[in-house]
Amino acid sequence: MEVKGLFNVARKEFIDHLTSRKFIIILGLFLIISAIAVHQGIDDYNDMLEDYKEQMSHIKEVEGPEGPVKWMPEKPSILLIFRRMSWQITMLGGILAIAMGFDLISREKESRSLKSLLSHPIFRDEIINGKALGGILALVFAIGIALIISFAMLLLFSIVPDLDEFTRITLFGVVSVLFLLSYFSIALMTSTVSRDSGSSLIYALIILFAFSFFMPTFENVVVESVVGEPPEFPGVHHVHIIGAPSASENESEGPAIKPIEPVPIEEEEWKRYEEESNAYWEKRSAIHDAISVVVPNDNFQAVTEAILNPHFEGLRYGVRYEPPTTEGEEKSLREALEIVWKNILALIVFPLVFFALAYVKFMRLDIR
Amino acid sequence: MIRTENLTKVYNGKKAVDSLNLEIAEGDIFGFLGPNGAGKSTTILMLVGMIEPTEGKCFINDIEVARNPLKIKEIIGYLPEDVGFYGNMTAEQNLDYFARFYAMDTTERKKRIEELLELVQLDGVSQKVGGYSRGMMQRLGLAHALLNDPEVLFLDEPTANLDPEGVFQYRELVKQLSDEGKTIFISSHILSEVSKVCNTIGIISKGRLIARGTLEELKKEFGRVGAENQKIIVETVEPLPEIEHEDIISAEYSETERKVIIEAKSDIRDYISSRLFEKGVRVKEMRMEEPTLEDVFMSVYRR
Repeated sequence: MEVKGLFNVARKEFIDHLTSRKFIIILGLFLIISAIAVHQGIDDYNDMLEDYKEQMSHIKEVEGPEGPVKWMPEKPSILLIFRRMSWQITMLGGILAIAMGFDLISREKESRSLKSLLSHPIFRDEIINGKALGGILALVFAIGIALIISFAMLLLFSIVPDLDEFTRITLFGVVSVLFLLSYFSIALMTSTVSRDSGSSLIYALIILFAFSFFMPTFENVVVESVVGEPPEFPGVHHVHIIGAPSASENESEGPAIKPIEPVPIEEEEWKRYEEESNAYWEKRSAIHDAISVVVPNDNFQAVTEAILNPHFEGLRYGVRYEPPTTEGEEKSLREALEIVWKNILALIVFPLVFFALAYVKFMRLDIR
Repeated sequence: MIRTENLTKVYNGKKAVDSLNLEIAEGDIFGFLGPNGAGKSTTILMLVGMIEPTEGKCFINDIEVARNPLKIKEIIGYLPEDVGFYGNMTAEQNLDYFARFYAMDTTERKKRIEELLELVQLDGVSQKVGGYSRGMMQRLGLAHALLNDPEVLFLDEPTANLDPEGVFQYRELVKQLSDEGKTIFISSHILSEVSKVCNTIGIISKGRLIARGTLEELKKEFGRVGAENQKIIVETVEPLPEIEHEDIISAEYSETERKVIIEAKSDIRDYISSRLFEKGVRVKEMRMEEPTLEDVFMSVYRR
């Protein structure tokens, strides 16, 4: 493969994306929604900052002769502002990526420009690689613009990220590009295998909706059917016994309900319950993780959570979209990323797989 | 210049091109004739290095195409049938994109594109290619094929979609390119076009080359197949006398008796001219009806 042809194709594709009406419209929409999300995030952050300041001043007031108060409120992180943005990327980013890729090859076939292109000294792999590179650059541009706007808004509200936060936000941008690349590569693949752009768009949207809506349901169904119900809680704390009404009671009031004392739980029984429960949730989590690793949305959520939540402990028991916890110690970025290494790997492998499929198909494409 | 050796292409078990052996000399304008589906376009696609042959080889300038497709594409130009471009770009932008695949700097590219657009009369057209008519697209296709000043030019149905003026310009262009020493391979099913511009012709049917030669050679070889008699047309100033000869089968006189079409077993033009001279009849025209390329094609194709 030569690089001259590749860069020429990539250059043309990049310019095509940036000047394409559909790209401009969807990117514009994406930027507006992202900006709104960041604005809301900034409002939330400012509210939390106010609470923090109030709590701090209260602590100073209650500090007495016994020394300083042991509990300290936590300063809110500006990273939380970008959590909202990650949701917008999950929703709109996939559509943007598909809009960019669904007709990359099929349009060339329809307009017969592919034959004209291939009559010049260029290898087929330069064409498909150039198209992919042009798309990647356009996606980097889209995410870059969104992040620049977000930074500008932060500065406008006098919020300045520190180095760690800046690194995390930049990494969030990189992960976002990887996520968008997943759907871009799907669209490129459907564009290569489809006869026309209409069919390609339909196939790509079906895959997008399958990952966004069908897979979460499928995951739950599989998990429920494999692991069944969670183990029953030993003992009863508050039992109500329904007895026959006494003579003194009014019959119209119905049977009497008498609370009885909680049944004490034996230590052994409790221990067994704990073990069974842990095993149950671990199994559930393992099955969920195994399925969700093939879903780009889940991987993106897990990785962005790890990056943007300094207290990230992992998405526990396969429960999705957990609220950010402020409990526990702060995790370094490296520690957080180690927890989600499978998801990071999946975000890298996923686009590669679909791109490889598109590549193989394109190299064998009948251009009669 | 162009050579094929048992060139074969099989699609789904069916031979689209079957053991094609062809040799075209440098500077030739070769007309590749055949009905739709005969294998013309498939042959061209193999010759320009866009598809690989199932069997056999093809060479351009003694370079094997399948082994060096990029080298071949440096020296050839190709106008595909139903040529297509990027509708969101102007003609200039389209050509500039393609020209970047060659070793041309910006100034060279610009100059070459200006020349070509002027040549195909698309200079000054600022609209995007998406709004072009089929004829304009075809003219842009010609410019596109000439972008790298190729040594060998492959034109697949070049006059399809062209208006009469466009066809005339195309013929002039082909002659000019031939004068420059370029080898031109024209695939067409429009026989009149091929007969007007080509000096050698090959006829392909069901993937096999069934005739090859100059138009004169083909006429000689195939023009009278199944038509053993000669047709002689005579036109005179004075009314024609009755012409009698043992080889004459029929004679069809015009109402003015100044024109006759004679069908004879042999060429009796000598006899006719002597007879008319004797009678003092002045001859305006006397010729033997030539077989057309259509006659040759049908004759070859029906065999």
